[in-house]
This record gives sequence, C-alpha cells and structure tokens, in this order.
Amino acid sequence: MWLLSAFVSLLTTNLILTKALGTSTLMAASRSRASLAVLALMMTGFSALGCMLTGLLVQLAPVLWTGALFPIELRPLLYTLSVSFLYLAGLLSARGLGRERFSKIKKYIHLSAFNCAVMGTLYLAFDLPAMQSMSLSPAYFLGMRLHVHQFSVPGGMLFGLQTGLGFVLAALMLAAVRKRLYHEEVPAAFRGFPAVMVYLGLLSMAVYAITC
Amino acid sequence: MNKRFSVFEGLLGRNAVLAQGMVIAPIVVCCTTLPRALIVCLAFALLTFSTVLIGSFYPRRLFYAVRVVLYAVTSAVLFVPVNMLCLYLEPQLSGSELFRIYLPLLAVNSFVVLHSELYFYRRRRTVMCAALFFHILGFCLTAACVGVVREILAYGTICGHVVDMPLLLQGTAAPWAGFILLGLFCALHRRLFPNK
Repeated sequence: MWLLSAFVSLLTTNLILTKALGTSTLMAASRSRASLAVLALMMTGFSALGCMLTGLLVQLAPVLWTGALFPIELRPLLYTLSVSFLYLAGLLSARGLGRERFSKIKKYIHLSAFNCAVMGTLYLAFDLPAMQSMSLSPAYFLGMRLHVHQFSVPGGMLFGLQTGLGFVLAALMLAAVRKRLYHEEVPAAFRGFPAVMVYLGLLSMAVYAITC
Repeated sequence: MNKRFSVFEGLLGRNAVLAQGMVIAPIVVCCTTLPRALIVCLAFALLTFSTVLIGSFYPRRLFYAVRVVLYAVTSAVLFVPVNMLCLYLEPQLSGSELFRIYLPLLAVNSFVVLHSELYFYRRRRTVMCAALFFHILGFCLTAACVGVVREILAYGTICGHVVDMPLLLQGTAAPWAGFILLGLFCALHRRLFPNK
C-alpha cells in the first residue's frame, strides 16, 4: 500500500508528465538500460546537490548581504552559480578517472547539468510555504513528518530527489516500450519520435485524470 | 560538415521541434492559444538570436564547459529585458506558468547551450545568422500552428475571435493534448519530408 501511494505520488508530481520538463533528456536516457542507470544516478545527484546548494546560499545570502532585504530576483543567479559549480566540479572529478572513462562519462555530465538547469526553473518559480513544499516532496509519502521550507538545505535536497526519482520513473516507463515504438511494423511516419510523443501524451492524460 | 547544407533547412526540413525534438516543453504546455504562442515565439527569437550571436564572439580557446556556462550566463542576463518586454505586451499573463517557468526555461534552451556549438558555430557568421533566422522561424511556425489548433479546439476562437465550432474539447488545452498534437504534427512532417 505504501509502495502504491509512493508510486502514485511520484506520478502525480512528475515534471515530465505534468509539465513536459526534460522531455528531450528523457528520450536520450531511455535509449539503453546502461545509460539510463548512469544518467538516473547523475541526474538525481545533480538535482539534489544543486537545489541543496542553492538552499544553503539562499539561507546564507541575507546574512552576508549587508543593506536592504536580499532581492528574490537574485535567486536564479545563485542557482545558475550552484549548477555551474557542480558542472565544472563534476567534469574535473571525472577527468581524474582517466581519459577513457572521462570520454564515456562526460556526455552524461553535460546532460545531467543541462537537465538540472531545466528542472531548476520550477524550483525557483514558486516560493511555497512550508506545508505546500512538504506535500511536493518525497518526505510526504515516505512518512517523514518534516516541515521543511523549499529554500532550505533539506527542502532543496528533497525537491532534487523528487525530480530525480520522477525522471527515473518516466524513463523506465518509456524504456519499457521503446522497442515497440521504434518497431518496423509501426508506420514510418509515426515510428520513433512521433510515437514517443503520442505515448507520453497518453501517460500524461492518465496522470491528468488522477489529479483532476 | 554536411555538403547538402542549406540555410533554409531549419524552416521545415530540419525543423527544431518537429525534426530534432528540441524545445518541446514550452510548446506542449504553453502554446494553448495563438497570443500565448506568439509570446513564446517572441521570447525564443530574441533570446536565442542574441545569445547565439554574442556567443559567436567568445574565444574558441576557452574550454567547452566554460563556453557553455558563458552562453547560459549571457542568456540569463538577456532574459531580464526580454521578460520585461513580454510582460509589457501581455500584462495579464504575469504570474502564470508561462512567465514563471517556461520563459526562464527558454534561457537555457538546447539551441543556446548545445546546438550552437554543434551546428551554428561551425559556419561563417553571416551564414550562421541566416541559418539561425530560419531555425527560429521554423520554431515559431510550429508554435503558432499548435497554438491555433489548440485554441480552436479548446475555446472555439482564433486570437479571441469566435469561430463557429460545433463542439469544444476543453481538455486539448492540457499538456497531454500538447504531446499528442505534437506527435501528430511530427508524423505529418515525416510524411511530407521523409528523407530529412
């Protein structure tokens, strides 16, 4: 029962199926199971760390900001700086693994950082009160009674985890039928990308029906 | 480099949305009416053209990762006046998802952070500008078509003018309809341009 409610919760807050955010990355991720696993891991890590770092900076900024109140408009800049820092740090640490591994991993780092920037637009879009923020986070269905604010370290981490796990779920659902959508029996005009769009539309319709 | 390159290919044959699957989210979610689609087009055109053009002056000696970060920062800075212009044109949409999520999203669209390096910066600047113009025009054409069809189906209007529709399907303004409609448009595009 818990697993079912967790699944439904991840579905109804899924950014791909409800907001179409990260659709292009999703298609790249679902190409193979191996790439999906690596990308899912990096994506979740990047979003969790990126949002957590932004949360930390937003908390620290009013302390360091001498003068008037810290302007909300500067939050996107803090987020951009956090993701850029993680992106460069990720590339540098991957470089330390050797040239061969680096060439294999770097495309996933590019994709993860790009996707993290995309997902971040939602993180920065709404300044949610603590209770609303909690209902959007995995802590809600994991049974953790945490009263966290969106722009705090745990709030950022939970939001990042939620987006990462939501992405994995959507990618798994696409990977499961990918072969059929690209099968030669599918009419040539619909084969591949158009079929994927229609499939995502049907999944999105199901989620829409649950949430309405 | 592709020998059969044409500056016009971005308009239809290599359409950014229909052929390459880029910048899907704003079309799926926001292009529910023609006026909203036109705001997306305006923001996309101004942001992408100016960022890619400014980015072409950044030295090639810089690391790829640093260049990508610079493109994103340039786009983020240019986003401020573009957002103000869009708000001036459509003040009633301020606070909507379009302005809070999808216009900022255009600042980090695939054209700016990925496609610029792989496609545009490999060409001479004048050719790049022409190709970029037709790619942007292709995106705007797709967004406007999706906007018109969804506005007719969901609200029975075009730009607010009532069209005689026997049945309204209000669900077509939801994201799921955007996905399905885009899939149908892609299939039509494949049918018309099978070898692209």
